[in-house]
Amino acid sequence: MSAKEVLLATDKVSKIFTLKDGTRFTACNEVSISLHKGETLGLVGESGCGKSTFVRTIMGLHPATSGKILFKGEDITNLTGEKRREMAKHIQMIFQDPATAFNPKMRIKDIICEPLRNFERVSDKEAEARAVDLLRQVELAPEIALRYPHELSGGQRQRVGIARALILEPEIIICDEATSALDVSVQDSIAKLLAKIQREKGVSYIFICHDLALVSLISHRVMVMQKGNVVEELPGDKLQSCQHPYTKKLLASVFTVHR
Amino acid sequence: MLLNVKELAIDYQGKNTVANVNFDLSAGEIMAIVGESGSGKTSVIRAILGCLSGTGQVSAGEINFNGRDIAHLSNKEWLAIRGKDMAMIFQDSGNMLNPVQTIGRQFVEYIQLHSKLSHSEAVKKACGLLARMNLPDPARVMDSYAFELSGGMRQRVGIAMALTFSPQLLLADEPTSALDVTTQAQIVDELMQVVHEAGSAMIIVTHNIGVAAHMADKIMVMAGGKVVEYGKTDEIIKNPQAEYTRTLLGSVPEIGGQRYVS
Repeated sequence: MSAKEVLLATDKVSKIFTLKDGTRFTACNEVSISLHKGETLGLVGESGCGKSTFVRTIMGLHPATSGKILFKGEDITNLTGEKRREMAKHIQMIFQDPATAFNPKMRIKDIICEPLRNFERVSDKEAEARAVDLLRQVELAPEIALRYPHELSGGQRQRVGIARALILEPEIIICDEATSALDVSVQDSIAKLLAKIQREKGVSYIFICHDLALVSLISHRVMVMQKGNVVEELPGDKLQSCQHPYTKKLLASVFTVHR
Repeated sequence: MLLNVKELAIDYQGKNTVANVNFDLSAGEIMAIVGESGSGKTSVIRAILGCLSGTGQVSAGEINFNGRDIAHLSNKEWLAIRGKDMAMIFQDSGNMLNPVQTIGRQFVEYIQLHSKLSHSEAVKKACGLLARMNLPDPARVMDSYAFELSGGMRQRVGIAMALTFSPQLLLADEPTSALDVTTQAQIVDELMQVVHEAGSAMIIVTHNIGVAAHMADKIMVMAGGKVVEYGKTDEIIKNPQAEYTRTLLGSVPEIGGQRYVS
């Protein structure tokens, strides 16, 4: 994997929030990662461990307190304005609950094409064609293009979320608990879809999840976070050989069907 | 036999949604209902508790609780049963708790509603119950508002309240689904322990078959408002008969299982 191009790297990124009473809270403490092309990097840990804060910092939704974020060797830590907007073409995000991430008054085709319209002029006809094409890629029927989000099931909505993340053909997709709100069988089909898209398009994923079992199956590498720190990094298929007590505790918390 | 459900059917807006549900439960037994969202599993336990949402109603069948059919009780008759003989734990107890009252105030109100305890006795009982759920510093929890507690703590409060009167039947609707894996593991074990101590029977609704296999004596698998499979946990897990059960079991991610990526 090391021979491959490093797409995204962070160098000791920290994010410190100042609370109302003036105390400082370190949500992310010197997190360094490198993400290669076509790779899935899993990020696990309990709520409040700083995984979402970290990816939000990468996305530029809030500035990093210290450290550097590099995209293809270029420093993107403090991008602003037009340059920050252009970055969105390269990194897209899928959220936990697309029901709250979508505008309920927009049709699915407009939801999918919204990122495209932020960057170029597209006619309604062309937008619909692009939307239908993407719906096919995420294994949904073309009729869905004309529906509204509330008419779809959770699994269908998450597929639309994936379609929307794909329309700008980004190199990196960040999945923030993208399958956590779904039933196991639907989760299975979404994970398969993400893996298929990766094989076909070579996108890289940062996959945030609190389910260790799922993350181990979908990730090439897994990073375990606790209280803002990365405590351990392991290959996805070798989680059982973990050393850190926190990873062991996470492993022991997984309920398996076949013991 | 504590609970016996016969040919239960549930309608929403006059349209049949759940049909032909049959099962029985003895004291001390734990049953899990598993299935996808929309399979009707929550409707079944809500029907047992007599609180189907919206236009839902039991259209056929019997729900025998201690030999008495409770499918069509009046609201007044329910008051004596619900919360005392039968209690429910919700997915997110934070939504069940009153946001503008302290935990202590609503807990004490609930205890005094169903018993003749004095205020100080009720406070003592509540603190004891909170302590039993491994909540550190129960007195502080009593003085807190729901939003001041973490999800795991709120869920422990919800379970403590449900167990107040050692109900004969405990219903749990996805009690651990909103929690982190580590908290989920703790709460599942605590829940099993206190249920056994109280000698209650429990029905747990979950989509996590791992949790169901760990907790339950028997499992009922539901899909599209119908019971697909019903039997002892071991038999369902080791030798599933229905195709749907097999799909469901196959989609549970397991460490060291079939990987999505190479």
